[in-house]
Amino acid sequence: MDLITNLGHGFGVALTLTNIMFCLIGCLIGTAIGVLPGIGPVATISLLLPITFGQPATTAIIMLAGIYYGAQYGGSTTAILLNLPGEVSSVVTTLEGYKMARNGRAGAALTVAALGSFFAGTVATVVVAASGPMLTQVALSFGPADYFSLMFLGLIISAVLAQGSVIKSIGMVAFGVSLGMVGTDVQTGQQRFTFGIPELSDGVGFVSMAMGMFGIAEIVLNLERPESRNVMSGKVGKLMMTRAEFRRAVPSVLRGTLVGTMLGILPGGGASLSSFGSYMMERKLSKYRHEFGSGAIEGVAGPESANNAASQTSFIPLLTLGIPANAVMALMVGALIIQGIQPGPRMVEAQPDLFWGLIASMWVGNLMLLVINLPMVGMWVKLLSVPYRYMYPSIMIFCAIGVYSLQNNVFDVYQTVFFGIFGYLCSKLRLEGAPMLIGFVLGPMMEEHLRRAMLLSRGDAMVFIERPISATMLAIAAIALIAMLMPNIRKGKDTALQEGG
Amino acid sequence: MSWAPSRRVLLASTMTVPMAGRRAAAQAWPSQSIRIVVPFAPGGTTDLVARLVAAGLQERLGASVVVDNRAGAGATLGSEVVARSAPDGYTLVMSNIASHAISPAVYGTRVRYNPVTDFAHAALVVTNPTVWVANPNSGIKTLADAVAKARSPSGLDVATSGAGSSNHLMVVRMGQLAGKEMNHIPFRGAGPAMQAVIAGQVAMMSDSLPSAASHIRQGSVVAVGMASAERHPSFPDVPTFREQGFDLASDSWFGLSFPAGTPAGIVDRLNRETRAFLGSPEIRSRFAELGGTPGDLTPDGYTEFVRREVALWAPLVQASGATAD
Amino acid sequence: MKLNTKDLLSAGVLIGVAAVGLWLNTDHTMGSARRMGPGYMPWLSFAVMMGLGFLVALAGLFNGPDPISKWTSSEIVFLIGGAIGGVAAGMAAAQVPGWPSAGWNSLGIGIFVGCLIPSIVPSWRPLFLVSAAFALFGLVLEHLGLMAAIALAVALSSLADKTHTPKGVVGLVVFLCVLCWAVFIYELDIRVPVWPQF
Repeated sequence: MDLITNLGHGFGVALTLTNIMFCLIGCLIGTAIGVLPGIGPVATISLLLPITFGQPATTAIIMLAGIYYGAQYGGSTTAILLNLPGEVSSVVTTLEGYKMARNGRAGAALTVAALGSFFAGTVATVVVAASGPMLTQVALSFGPADYFSLMFLGLIISAVLAQGSVIKSIGMVAFGVSLGMVGTDVQTGQQRFTFGIPELSDGVGFVSMAMGMFGIAEIVLNLERPESRNVMSGKVGKLMMTRAEFRRAVPSVLRGTLVGTMLGILPGGGASLSSFGSYMMERKLSKYRHEFGSGAIEGVAGPESANNAASQTSFIPLLTLGIPANAVMALMVGALIIQGIQPGPRMVEAQPDLFWGLIASMWVGNLMLLVINLPMVGMWVKLLSVPYRYMYPSIMIFCAIGVYSLQNNVFDVYQTVFFGIFGYLCSKLRLEGAPMLIGFVLGPMMEEHLRRAMLLSRGDAMVFIERPISATMLAIAAIALIAMLMPNIRKGKDTALQEGG
Repeated sequence: MSWAPSRRVLLASTMTVPMAGRRAAAQAWPSQSIRIVVPFAPGGTTDLVARLVAAGLQERLGASVVVDNRAGAGATLGSEVVARSAPDGYTLVMSNIASHAISPAVYGTRVRYNPVTDFAHAALVVTNPTVWVANPNSGIKTLADAVAKARSPSGLDVATSGAGSSNHLMVVRMGQLAGKEMNHIPFRGAGPAMQAVIAGQVAMMSDSLPSAASHIRQGSVVAVGMASAERHPSFPDVPTFREQGFDLASDSWFGLSFPAGTPAGIVDRLNRETRAFLGSPEIRSRFAELGGTPGDLTPDGYTEFVRREVALWAPLVQASGATAD
Repeated sequence: MKLNTKDLLSAGVLIGVAAVGLWLNTDHTMGSARRMGPGYMPWLSFAVMMGLGFLVALAGLFNGPDPISKWTSSEIVFLIGGAIGGVAAGMAAAQVPGWPSAGWNSLGIGIFVGCLIPSIVPSWRPLFLVSAAFALFGLVLEHLGLMAAIALAVALSSLADKTHTPKGVVGLVVFLCVLCWAVFIYELDIRVPVWPQF
């Protein structure tokens, strides 16, 4: 009963005219920056921060949260339509989403992304409201050893992203991990593989890499095959999902929501694991797994739901411990502190308006995004019928500006050129970009947790097996590895032949 | 939309930014928009305070003041940009303990500016004490407890926001004073480190007060010692390191600096306006809430302050072994 | 023949990068189990990468044939020419005082020249003209401003597609300039010079 009263109170706060308006503004800005490649929510929120100084805390935080979800929604749009992932979760969306767009099902992909996200957001909001404080204990019970094993499991299953050879794909994961080693070593502060270039001291840019390997390489490939791009702009296809597609998407959305809700609670990597954890799950569990790689709707529905669920539940550590799970939330903490509010366990009692208002506004924001995004699906899909000769320079310019604006540094632009050429080479050699990007993101985190776990255990590696969470993860990883390699050694030849044809 | 007007100002500023570095300082400074380079990514404490100060200065100077984030290489990238800008009074850097005291020692010859002579240091904005906190169940209540734990066979784990940070160097220095090296556990930022302390995975943490303040108030961690000269007014119960017998007092800080050669009149004006802004009761209370102390130094005073900090940290960096090569 | 050329070349890429990485990694200490050094994880990942590279190579000997398309001699000559020309241009630019050696301009010049040379060959144009246009954008952005950068990059990249008409390109440039100004400058307030600086 308490929950309903509290939520009712929250909706009372969230549904004032001012707050609805700011939520709407936040969602619109968020969608816009999400759609633009390279422009992230962090830069935008910090830009808008001074504006929120003059607003009540609740209003400010509702708007900032709107930007955050909006960016998540918008990011999948460019991933599906243009093969341009701006963050880790969108990398997964490109895999099936862009294929769907090429098959003329862009409308269905965008619709299922929006509907799945909305459903997942709703469920996750209820979870946050009902059991946030309890779930905090889950986050706190994860030590460095457990995180290491989780990341390791993530790396192993990321090979599942492979459309072709598993060995090559694990090779690309290792390549990604190696690239992730570039930059300042967290433990010692030493510079690794930076060749004295100051810009590399913070590592190779993820956005530059994703834009180059996916966006730029795709432009070049399309320019080389005029026939394939005409096919794409020629058939826009039916906008809405068919009944069959809807039925196929439902179980994926449910599974994705579950995975995302759980992983989102873990700060430091949980959320980025969620979407491809879900992709892996769909690929193993879906009845239509044979369609993966050629545009399966499950591969969009699951990860998109998981991603959105995770972005809601990742508020839990912020609301209950006062610890931000990512850079966007760090900014929100900043906004709250400037307002004189200390986020943390006492926030529920000290600032009930803010706490329950924020939770209610999460749901309102999701609803708003659905309302904003569904009608726009038609418009986005129409973009695909613009002749490609006008499309590609525009994509290029948007990428270039986006990449530059990350650090206001042209070095990132040149970095993108490099990864564009490398991405082209990879696609010619059937080396896949997605596993590499996942390895790039998870590798450094894994190293960090490994070394920290060993520091804390005084060099005793048994800690990975003694801790039950860690041991479970490692066991799953071992099973996954065996299951993956066994059939592929047999099937290796057949798949290679199919690819060649 | 109540924020529309301020966006017009931002817009106007964008158009003028390109010219900022080129035009000679006009008689009536400021005649165009001022750019504050923050050498960190958006979202950190420095970025936050820079935006607060920018908003205040914009009101007082009547010209738009914009924040430009140029992160990277231990805050030295952004600082270098400013060191090489035209000294016309329209480009400033948020100089800080990392960019102007620690990183020059860590990065050595790769830092292509002199933290003292290549800048016209204008105003100290804020100093933040370093505070050591412990998990409430760790049994550590005082620094003596901590040292005893460090000398025990299991040793003492101390988390920090990262290798080469001032917090890390504090751990090194404390180990020297205690005669026993502490087990330094670096994290990627203060948030994850604090979480590990709350969860009990690491016993202690060396943190800057603004990021630890809320956790101390909520009782999720215990403040063991404040590494500043005096007790902090917001936390009068927390004894300093000196009171507990360890001669260690160091605050992290940031301020505003022009490139060297900027006309003294401009530097003085900015100093006056910044100090007036920081002295307002509203800002003082906000900073107190954050755990910081607003700066109140003349340009000469701030320059001398930076000079002292450079001399203070270089040997500590050497002792910690945190070098970039 | 059962050789899988693509796999063999992929293996070459993996092994090559891993070998260079392992060599560079000799600078970093491995540390102990308790306090792992900065060299430990890179060593592990490069070693795994190299091992997998050899596995790919081994498989590539039997699971073919999967040939790559034959390169013409002009394609090879101009590619090598581009690599040499690019490096030479970059190094030369680094020696010239002033604009060419400021900031990352010498790198940009190197990439730009290196990409332009192979794009003389029609079949290289999509890849290298798009890359060159991207580099050109970075090269002129901070000096001539956003508008000029858009115009030059679009004009250069339009050569990569035969169906472009001059009128269409001009229209596209105008459209993109207006759109980018509205979106990036007006709405998002990106810190970037818009017009040339003097």
